Amino acid sequence: MKAVVLDGIVLGLQFGLLGVGLTLVYGLGGVLNLAHGQIAVLGAIVAALRIDAGSPTFVAVLTGLAVAGVIGLLLDRTLLRPVYRLRGEPRVLLGLLLMLGVAFIVDGLLVWRYPIEALSLRIGGDPVDVLGVGMRRGALLASAIALATGAALAAYLRFATLGRAVRSVIQDEEGAQLCGINPSMVRSVVLASSAVLAALVAVTRSMTSPITVDAGIDLTILALIVAVVGGLGSVSGAFAAGVLLGIVNTVSAHYIGSYVTTIVLLGAAALTIVLRPSGLLGRGQETG
Amino acid sequence: MQVLAPPAEAAGRTRTSVLRAYAPIAVVGVLAALLPLRYGDSRTMMGVIIGGVLFAAYVVGFNVIFGSTGQLFLCVGALAGLGGYGSALLSDRWGLPMVPAMALAALLAAAVGGLLSFVAVSRSLGVIFTGIVTLAFSLAFQNLLLGQRDLTRGETGLLVEAGSDTFLGEQVAPYYTFLALAVVYLVVYRLLQRSRVGWAFRSLRDDELAAELTGVDVKLHRVLAGTVGSAMIGLAGALYAHSEGFISPSTYAFGGVDVRVVVMLALGGIGSLLGPVIGAAAFTALDEWLVSSNEYRLVIYGAVIVALFLGFPRGVAPTVQSLLRRFSGGRRVRGGSAAR
Repeated sequence: MKAVVLDGIVLGLQFGLLGVGLTLVYGLGGVLNLAHGQIAVLGAIVAALRIDAGSPTFVAVLTGLAVAGVIGLLLDRTLLRPVYRLRGEPRVLLGLLLMLGVAFIVDGLLVWRYPIEALSLRIGGDPVDVLGVGMRRGALLASAIALATGAALAAYLRFATLGRAVRSVIQDEEGAQLCGINPSMVRSVVLASSAVLAALVAVTRSMTSPITVDAGIDLTILALIVAVVGGLGSVSGAFAAGVLLGIVNTVSAHYIGSYVTTIVLLGAAALTIVLRPSGLLGRGQETG
Repeated sequence: MQVLAPPAEAAGRTRTSVLRAYAPIAVVGVLAALLPLRYGDSRTMMGVIIGGVLFAAYVVGFNVIFGSTGQLFLCVGALAGLGGYGSALLSDRWGLPMVPAMALAALLAAAVGGLLSFVAVSRSLGVIFTGIVTLAFSLAFQNLLLGQRDLTRGETGLLVEAGSDTFLGEQVAPYYTFLALAVVYLVVYRLLQRSRVGWAFRSLRDDELAAELTGVDVKLHRVLAGTVGSAMIGLAGALYAHSEGFISPSTYAFGGVDVRVVVMLALGGIGSLLGPVIGAAAFTALDEWLVSSNEYRLVIYGAVIVALFLGFPRGVAPTVQSLLRRFSGGRRVRGGSAAR
């Protein structure tokens, strides 16, 4: 049981990091990035291709993250321009549909060009003893990266000027604009960082199980569930939801079975929306 | 509800306006009925055309829900699957005759769709949350189909015996059954549009608060649309199960059904009578044209979706129509006519 819960936490930290990117982009501009998982896989596959080409692992991973970031930036600067010109529900709808199209393009390209490529980072060494459970080093490293990134992100949003600008745009786009913040610049930065975060999750996941080219859809759905349970737009909520759902995931997969697990996770998302639309840590008000 | 009585000019419409309202359906029906003359010999082509008509029926149902009352139901595939699997199991496993089985399965889909709609309405979920809840239902249903192996036989799929010994087992006859279904759906859509319910739909689409204030029961009409549309989708899914004789979870998968339905409706024009038909026809033609390029078909799909929504946010057909109208001297077309 202890081992299962610990595995769940390892998984959950990455779920959280995956959900954070989606939640920030949605909170900021109302775009539900349905290509989130696909961009993550894109980054991972670029890294895998670089490793195949002989680059050192670290450099290859950095390249993968950079490519994901650039794609995010490009998407924001081109495709999403017309979306941000709309307001309210038309914006949400157009953003969702455009990103669905992007998801297909990325997925289709990857599966077409590199059908058998996969990223699998092997972290060697003996298992480390944590609370009496032998944990694989890969799992620990993945968790450490997720924790550090999450903490850095939270601190950045809290204290840095740009981070505060991000939060102010989430709260009130027009109000932020009146204070001299350029929402379009903030959105570009956030979409690019969200893409980097997504790719980072794909990389850390590959330390425990390989990331294949067709993993994008599953990652997107996972990110969506986490973001919804945490409350769309809430960073701390996404992390809390990630860890919670990670534990639920491994416990349920271990004791009940894997297809029920997916239904449980989906049910959690649906129930959250119906009972607490603002998410786990929400204050009960409409988050938009 | 008397407030919603159509204005005097509409009430005083003559028989010609009735003719004009249903003429587009008749034209489409007759044109579609001629298709087997050209393709009747080829089993593959008939399959493709039947698929197109099936999707037109799905899209009309989705249009009732999303086009009329703005509820983003991302579970068209799951509702059709409830109809398909429901009817197949009721008839093959529990020995019900085919027609009552289909009716019961359609009722089941209607009940589930109505319930989803009721939940969305009573918790006043916006378009995005309605979308996510129905998407979650859709994916959960898919997993249920895969997991309940002893009932659904999982991804191996289910052979549907009932119906194979009737005319549904033939090559051209099922096509006319589907066509009749789609035509009935269009007539129902038109009837709804021209009734008091249609006025309520339009008023709540335009301005929900104003509609509520003038005495439209917004919640009731949303749930009504959710129920009627889901029944349509469920019945079409059930008919497909019996005519095809084989169903599997991928027959009703989100990626295979919902994405297409959304694209078709956007292509044809949301909230219009013939939009679903135009969208389904155009998409089916595109799909058939891309069959040879299987490897990068997904990429082209994606590119089409992006180009479509970027270039024609209101739907391709309405945009083209308003352009034509501008060139033909700005003749005004009233809200209730063929175009809408």
